[in-house]
Amino acid sequence: METMGRPLRAGRAPAELMAVYAAEERSSLPGEEQPTEASGPEGSPGRAQSADEAEPDARFSFANERTFLAWSRTALALVVAGLGIIQLLPPFPGIPWGRHLVGIPLILLGSVVSVVSYLEWKSNQRALRRGEPLTRTRLPQVLAATVAVIALVAAALSVISAATRS
Amino acid sequence: MSPADDIEDTDPGLARERTELAWTRTAISFAAIGGVILRYEPAAGLPILALSVLIWELGRLARAPGRAGPAGPGGSAAAAWVRSRRLPLIAVAVTIVSLVALAIVLFGPPSRGLRL
Repeated sequence: METMGRPLRAGRAPAELMAVYAAEERSSLPGEEQPTEASGPEGSPGRAQSADEAEPDARFSFANERTFLAWSRTALALVVAGLGIIQLLPPFPGIPWGRHLVGIPLILLGSVVSVVSYLEWKSNQRALRRGEPLTRTRLPQVLAATVAVIALVAAALSVISAATRS
Repeated sequence: MSPADDIEDTDPGLARERTELAWTRTAISFAAIGGVILRYEPAAGLPILALSVLIWELGRLARAPGRAGPAGPGGSAAAAWVRSRRLPLIAVAVTIVSLVALAIVLFGPPSRGLRL
């Protein structure tokens, strides 16, 4: 079980550990909004922070990164689904553009999810640095609503093509 | 210092390992879609497969310094730039893949579907 709030062990000074995290984050974590002070050489611990910002705990940064990667995989799955529906399914009888009506929105949704999840990652990193609450993510609602609509469209197309065939 | 102490200091909660695994899963997803696109347009599928290898390499940066390969300030300036922008790179890569899929669907030969 993950213990995010695990207290530091006796014998290791907290400042020393935070300096380790901070130096690692500066040298290995991806580029994001920088503090307003001029940046020093990569990995140097001499960079001052502005008064209301602090280096976030490395575990929270990594968790944010993993969330973004999970959304990106979801986006790729949407693109594969759209492509597969159009290329691998036989056409709806009587509705030649039926597969495209279902598949193209899925592909577009994939790119939208990927871009929005990156913007949310950035905004979460900023909130972590400032110690503010994380911004409420809109992606689950967007995804659920859009997939539901597309599924209803697919069901309607199936019914219509079955009705026009008979 | 025991090995258990060491891990908890350099990788608390195994966050680094989990992050590297997340990058690996993402690389596999890109490879999967690269394989699908390869079947329709090899000129587009091969770069996506190459990209998936790059993404896997980027995942190794999550390791603690000293345990991975060249994760530090070594390497060319271009490599360092790619490392620092790796998350936006993923967002751009997914968008490009979706545009490639759109192009295949809109401009490729009409598909009659798989006959099973």
